[in-house]
Amino acid sequence: MPESIKVSVFGIVGSPLCVASSDGQEVYERLNAAFEANRKVTLSFHNVTALTSAFLNAAIGQLYGTFSEDKIRSSLEMENMEKDDEDLLERVVENAKLYFKDPERFNQAIQETLNDEV
Amino acid sequence: MIFHLPKEINHDDASFETFAYLYSQTKELAFDDIEINMEKTVWFAADMCAAFGAILYSLEKRLNTVNLTNISSDIKEILSKNGFLSRFGGVEISDQWGTTISYQQFDGKSDRDFVRYIENEFIYRSELPEMSTELLKKFSESISEIFINAILHSQTQMGIFSCGQFYPTKEQLDFTIVDLGIGIRKNIKDLRGLNLSPEKAIVWATEGNSTTKRGRLPGGLGLKLLCEFIDLNQGSIKIVSDAGYWKRENQQISTESLSNPFPGTIVSIEINTADTNIYSLSST
Repeated sequence: MPESIKVSVFGIVGSPLCVASSDGQEVYERLNAAFEANRKVTLSFHNVTALTSAFLNAAIGQLYGTFSEDKIRSSLEMENMEKDDEDLLERVVENAKLYFKDPERFNQAIQETLNDEV
Repeated sequence: MIFHLPKEINHDDASFETFAYLYSQTKELAFDDIEINMEKTVWFAADMCAAFGAILYSLEKRLNTVNLTNISSDIKEILSKNGFLSRFGGVEISDQWGTTISYQQFDGKSDRDFVRYIENEFIYRSELPEMSTELLKKFSESISEIFINAILHSQTQMGIFSCGQFYPTKEQLDFTIVDLGIGIRKNIKDLRGLNLSPEKAIVWATEGNSTTKRGRLPGGLGLKLLCEFIDLNQGSIKIVSDAGYWKRENQQISTESLSNPFPGTIVSIEINTADTNIYSLSST
């Protein structure tokens, strides 16, 4: 049994454009099943030419509501990601960690900011 | 009834007012004959077919008969090339110069169809003006963020409309996406309990961490990322939702209140196609 399962994002989506939340959900379901079985995953972005935050929120951000950060970091490795996509993923992960830390207070800072703007 | 379109339709506050006014004058009509007279109209920014088409679709949904009359030959040509007029009794003609991005309507579950639309209109089309690979990627991602936002948040039962146009001499690409959903203000009120003005609701939605999603799926980055891209590209973005109008250009935001509400949300972007920036998003 291999140490790490390789999952191709392009293979799941069937397109180089990984933009739809529903496509991200399919990626999430595979990662979720692998993590629940205590398997490690190498997620390949080979041939992926466009990514959205909506896709990554569903595929990866959502994991932070189910698994600990330590579990995700030790079980998930990215492969063939372009630099700007890595940056986007970092933003999505930061956002997800904040969201799942305290979803009800997630917008409080924004609401306060609004009082000073426009 | 007869409604006269003005001299120019652009993606600006005046034209958004026009379509909001058209909606206000026709929203109670059913089983009626509605003539949209374009006799005075000498310029029609093609991407605004998305907003125009959305309103006309809502009219036809109520079994009104819509006729577009006195269209100038120049406008007829461009609205035939992008497939708009074929929805209203005209014919589609070929786009010899490859500057149109076709008018399309999607339902609220067609995110994969939208992906194919981007592929067909941008990725696999060789006749479009050259854009850097980086820019094409960021552009595809940006309009996808808008579309996915519309699907996730608008709750529309009447679809999502899109259209675009290249202006090679100006090195500019305009693209507009419209939904006939509940609008940003009501979405925030329903899901976050915030009672904001239409303009402030758009400001709220374009800030980071402003998700209206609940449950297992985090979100709220899409419009913020779009704004960051537009700033770097030196383009502009305009959003209309309810009676709110919001514009971001040169990193400056301006807002105003429209006289009538638009029945959904319009997101209209202008992209500088000569942009050669290497895009890398900084972390917040």
